[in-house]
Amino acid sequence: MNARIRDMIITNFLAIAAGLVITGLMLIIIDINPVTVFRAAIITMLTDKYTMGDVLLKATPLIFTALAFAFTYKASLFNIGAQGQFYMGAIVAIAVSLKLEGRVPTVILLIIVCILTLLAGGMVGALIGFLKARYNANEFLVSMMSTYVVLSLNNYLLRTFLKETKGEYPQTDAITREAWIPNLLKGTRLHVGFLLAILVAVGIWVLLYKTPLGYRIRAVGSNAKAAELSGINSKKIYIITFFISGALAGMAGFTEVNGVQHMLIQNFNTGIGAAGLGIAILANANPIGIIFASILFGAISVIGNLMGRMPGVNVPSSIVDLMQGFVMIFVIIAYFFRAYNENRREKLKLQKAVGK
Amino acid sequence: MITNLLSRALMMSTPLLLGSIAEVIAERSGMMVTAIEGIFLMGAWGGFVGTYITGSVSIGILTAMLFGAIAAAIYGFVCIFLKQHQVVTGTAINILAAGFCTYFQRVLFGVPTSPLKINPLGKIPIPVLSDIPFIGTIFFEQNILTYIVYLIIPVSYFVLYHTAVGLMIRSTGENPEAVDVAGINVNKVRFSVVLVAGLFGGLAGAFYSVGYLGMFTNNIIGGRGWIAFAICFLGNWNPKGAAVGAVIFGFAEAIAIYMQSIGGGEYFPNELFIALPYILTIVLTVSRKNFNVPAQLGIPYIKGN
Repeated sequence: MNARIRDMIITNFLAIAAGLVITGLMLIIIDINPVTVFRAAIITMLTDKYTMGDVLLKATPLIFTALAFAFTYKASLFNIGAQGQFYMGAIVAIAVSLKLEGRVPTVILLIIVCILTLLAGGMVGALIGFLKARYNANEFLVSMMSTYVVLSLNNYLLRTFLKETKGEYPQTDAITREAWIPNLLKGTRLHVGFLLAILVAVGIWVLLYKTPLGYRIRAVGSNAKAAELSGINSKKIYIITFFISGALAGMAGFTEVNGVQHMLIQNFNTGIGAAGLGIAILANANPIGIIFASILFGAISVIGNLMGRMPGVNVPSSIVDLMQGFVMIFVIIAYFFRAYNENRREKLKLQKAVGK
Repeated sequence: MITNLLSRALMMSTPLLLGSIAEVIAERSGMMVTAIEGIFLMGAWGGFVGTYITGSVSIGILTAMLFGAIAAAIYGFVCIFLKQHQVVTGTAINILAAGFCTYFQRVLFGVPTSPLKINPLGKIPIPVLSDIPFIGTIFFEQNILTYIVYLIIPVSYFVLYHTAVGLMIRSTGENPEAVDVAGINVNKVRFSVVLVAGLFGGLAGAFYSVGYLGMFTNNIIGGRGWIAFAICFLGNWNPKGAAVGAVIFGFAEAIAIYMQSIGGGEYFPNELFIALPYILTIVLTVSRKNFNVPAQLGIPYIKGN
């Protein structure tokens, strides 16, 4: 096996283990035996079909938001606003589904909703890319702030135009079964959106590594000035990259609304933008790696929820965030050790060559 | 009414000022403190817990600064000594801080039926000065944290531009090789500066829990750390610019609170006012043309490169 790939697998594995161990310590502090609860949760997860389905279900939107971050990262841009683009997608998904359900066949409805959410998220993204290209605005700040603006818009719409017909809570009506994304596996909540996510991830890989556009995006990412000199319009690339990135995050809104929640509530899935970023880093922004890293994060959140619901022990469900945070920190630290190993190998190679 | 509004604006700008000055000092040395949102949150929680448990606001504020510094220390260690990406590491710290505060809030206090309250910091009118008409009420009837900020702005400006330490910090951000050749440890300078930013940021976080609301909620910071981060950019990496920026944002927040209180929601949606500071950030980011970015901002220093 290639030494670099071996290093990557070993260090990431150790990083995840370290993250879980330190989370275990946090449980010991509150007098809970981490080994027992972790074991019970993991066994349930692996043996119960419904729970296993939930792991993949949780992974689905994360694949999209992680791809959203990774895609701009390849162009050395930062889209920290995946959360907002996700909300934008979710708003459009619920609004369009409520309008169209019962009027058009399910398949056509889902295709229309999917395309519109993609465009909605993409427009938010493209706007950020445009501000970057036209006014040289710092995309990191603008994308970060855009999330809060879209969140306010979301809350406003839930209180007014999209409010449920009962008129009690700031949430929308539920959509009927006709607008649901079909189930993938009987006895679970897993829906076809998971397959869509995998297809999209593969598609993004192809786009990045096998097409001229992907080449241009990566060229701008590695050296925007050099790319410009070789005739690539980097401003156009900024806008395109941000559009695609936003569209990816928007699609998470589609799978979450039509596939899982079937309605829109306030404070909906607040952490998936940030988790997506963590996943993208864990996978070194590789689209295929993102699929696996998302499943890992899905598993973490399912394990955390299982522990939170375990009878007899009182584990706060926020253990999920703690676990994700620790795993992320250690994964970042793992990069340091990989670089260190890589350096040492290069040095050895040089010494050998000189010695000959 | 206008006095009230301006006084409120100054109050709301206090934490933003602390945060943006912290950011200015750190970024001048080349360190983008992207963990600022998490540092604010740790400060807010530390301040609340310290005050709630001991009953003493002073201990609460010290706890807040300590917690802010701990978050900053982890961030600084990974970014400076392990040379990892600052934006990425910051995001991880922010997630971790959110998890940490929610988890231990629940561990310490369970799920209380009514929110736990502490007494927020009172206003301390300064004798004589607060009697000046108009200006007195605005500037000299504030809580202690605002007065601390009055001191911090000129002091940080003076240190940054008129002392050897300031020169060292600024040179570290512009030309770390030269600093290294002069026999100064670049990483040590950066780490110390990040720790100072952590102390300031923790204090800023304490403003929201101890100084203003008298309670802690998971979304108490709600992106204000990022606004402080933005103010540093918009203020052109200068304490004076940061001060102006923070007051503008404080004013936007004060207007938002005021409009909500007089029922401005009848004409405009409340959410518009809530979004106002964020929209303002985007507009200002777009319209700002000349930036005086520290040359080595965000770039780890690797010796012998």
